[in-house]
Amino acid sequence: MLVGIGFAVGWLSGLFGVGGGFLLTPVLMLIGIPSTVAVASGANQTLGASVSGLIAQARRMNVDWQMGAVLVAGGLVGSVVGVQIFALLRRAGQVDAAVAIFYVVVLGSVGTLMVMESIRAIFRRSRAQVSRRSNHSWAHGLPLKMRFRKSRLYISVIPPLIVGFVIGILSAIMGVGGGFMLVPAMIYILGMPTAVVIGTSLFQVVCVTASVTFLQAIQVGGVDIVLTLLLLLGGVAGAQFGAAMGGKLRGEETRVLLGLLVLGVAGSLLWDLWRVPQTLFSVGPAF
Amino acid sequence: MPSGMVMQAARAIAARQRICGRILGVLLLVLLVPSWVAAQPSDLVARLSTERVAITTAFTGESILVFGSTEEPLGPGGDEVIILARGPSGPFVVRRKVEVLGLWFNGPAARFEDVPVFYAVAGTRPASRLLPEEILVQRGIGLASLPLISTGARAPGFRTALRDLKQSSRLWQEDAQPIEIAGSRLFNLRLPLPSTVQPGNYRVEVMLVRARRIVATEQLGFIIERVGTAAEIERVARTQPVLYALLCIVLAALAGWLGSVIFRRN
Repeated sequence: MLVGIGFAVGWLSGLFGVGGGFLLTPVLMLIGIPSTVAVASGANQTLGASVSGLIAQARRMNVDWQMGAVLVAGGLVGSVVGVQIFALLRRAGQVDAAVAIFYVVVLGSVGTLMVMESIRAIFRRSRAQVSRRSNHSWAHGLPLKMRFRKSRLYISVIPPLIVGFVIGILSAIMGVGGGFMLVPAMIYILGMPTAVVIGTSLFQVVCVTASVTFLQAIQVGGVDIVLTLLLLLGGVAGAQFGAAMGGKLRGEETRVLLGLLVLGVAGSLLWDLWRVPQTLFSVGPAF
Repeated sequence: MPSGMVMQAARAIAARQRICGRILGVLLLVLLVPSWVAAQPSDLVARLSTERVAITTAFTGESILVFGSTEEPLGPGGDEVIILARGPSGPFVVRRKVEVLGLWFNGPAARFEDVPVFYAVAGTRPASRLLPEEILVQRGIGLASLPLISTGARAPGFRTALRDLKQSSRLWQEDAQPIEIAGSRLFNLRLPLPSTVQPGNYRVEVMLVRARRIVATEQLGFIIERVGTAAEIERVARTQPVLYALLCIVLAALAGWLGSVIFRRN
């Protein structure tokens, strides 16, 4: 069954070109795996699933290592902070609810944006669309400027540090790579060229999920390597099939489907929080 | 020789002491016959069907047979047997959910120290009818006599909830079924261990009850342990977390890379 879930999520991630971590962890939680294990193993699985992509992108010279290093620096600090928050929440007994709420908020907004964006795109398909990047955003007025040759940028290191930091926290609490938020942030906030965005974000994802895996394993003990490997087994196979199929589908329609799927997962997590629990009391070992 | 004489004297004293001891023993025996003879270990013999339960990845629970025999006939009017089994103890937290803005969160919590992860009691009749209250409490027989001391939320509901949750998961059992008696001197009890049972040392106490008193006790025990690869992994994760964490990173990266190589060729 776990291989099957890995396959399904991998298939979807290949089909839609997304990381899959943000679907995998909530699905694991919905089938009853404790959120500590789901989050930690989800991060570990994302690490494995992203490695091959990073290698492929690095070979094609699509990684801005310099920008990546700044993002990772922020991301590592973020993952440390995130795991501390996670450990605190667990001690307070609120980790299940907190992780679910993070997912409801993030998946809810991402899903809504996706559906709205693609519906708008479907209606406008006939018209040629020119998307413009804001090359001169507020990010250009900050100190500590640095030249990123690969990205052809001369900006302050503060925005990428903050982006990396926030994604690091989310990665630690939600057990995701964070690519689905990192990619838009890199394009719209940092103004990076799209060619290097995927490779550089994969670099950040691999480093931060490795850090989250390490810290979660040591501090919380939620990493289940057997679960991770089973999920990877299905996931890697599924991703190849999904990618092969994804080429035949139209971008906007698949985006609507993915958006609806994301909303569905968010909805079922919200439903779990909303409905009156069958038993008011729960018992667990004390930490 | 002086040393020889000393030896001889010592031997004589020792012999006299031995005789005295024997006389004293016999005297004691005669005096204490009614209660003392009754408490002879041969009055009660009990054994377990196994002393080791292995939890593999396919473990779905198991049951242990506690069996034995008594000297005097069992049953109404005669002797009675109580069997008490308990696993290792640890602290547990009971939480109550509360509604905040339409969503349910864990609210107040009570922490209980020294809660047995497994507890089962059964008798030829319910123990509460065989022994007086103070003995039940003193020996910890019956769920009502478990000293569940809590810190945190004070409401009595938490204690009841702990009992109910443990009982519904079959980790705590009280008079789930009576001890079966065969031929008035043989008894046996099938002790079911649910799949969620924790590894550790388990104690089984078989008590012989006569006239509202425990007259003989047999202490038995078994070990529940995890075996196989999963247990090995769990042990490494527990004892060497840094090594385990690094292994997880390397293995996941390797598996992801390998997988993509294999499936790309196809």
